[in-house]
Amino acid sequence: MSVLTYGYAVWSPIVWLVVLVVLGLIVLYVRSRGQKRYKKGTAQTDVFISGVQVPPAEQRHVPAHNIYWGFFEALQGFYDTMMRPHTGIINDYILWLVAIVTLTVVVLVMTG
Amino acid sequence: MNLKAFNRALWVYHLNTGSCNGCDIEILAVLTPRYDVERFGIRLVGSPRHADVLLVTGPVGRSMEDSVRRIYEQTPDPKVVMAVGNCGAEGDVFHEAYSLVGPIDQIIPVDVYVPGCPPRPEAIIEGVVKAWAKLETLVKQGV
Repeated sequence: MSVLTYGYAVWSPIVWLVVLVVLGLIVLYVRSRGQKRYKKGTAQTDVFISGVQVPPAEQRHVPAHNIYWGFFEALQGFYDTMMRPHTGIINDYILWLVAIVTLTVVVLVMTG
Repeated sequence: MNLKAFNRALWVYHLNTGSCNGCDIEILAVLTPRYDVERFGIRLVGSPRHADVLLVTGPVGRSMEDSVRRIYEQTPDPKVVMAVGNCGAEGDVFHEAYSLVGPIDQIIPVDVYVPGCPPRPEAIIEGVVKAWAKLETLVKQGV
């Protein structure tokens, strides 16, 4: 067994393997002591959320958008402003490009 | 009481269906050091899926009907339902009110009634003991 010792800690894969096996046995023991009174296929195995009807599993996911709810809510004003010029029409974007290039050229020419 | 079949701690789920909280306060009193039923292994749990006994208070408001039925169905067998207080037993002063669908036994089967407005902690404890005895019978019957 190879033991790497460096000052104040010890690393040994065998020790970790033994620890994992022991933990696994403990988990299996706790699991075996669990309730066996449930009738499968009935409401007794449904998710419990304070008696509220729980939607099917495929409709229960939390989209990433929900996680950023507060972020979007706080920046709602900024997004509203930014989304208005973003029409998705290529002609509008070209118009923006031409306008900004023109403005840049004018500013460069004026300032020398 | 000699429990042979149901020989484990009794876990109780408390369901308030629209109670004024009078009964609920007495239920909490049962858990305080003065009565302390936890020393007998009787404790409140946070999910009906862990419970042996449903301890129901309140006259069952219209909006609670589905929840009461669902919570009853989610409780594993064998289970016992206790109606605590006059409201849960027969509606009390809210009897036949337009906003009620109760009392509780109109929605789910009730095994033990504990009358009172609110019932004293001693009465609730006696009800729990009767529920325990009923569970013993149910387990022996293989429910």
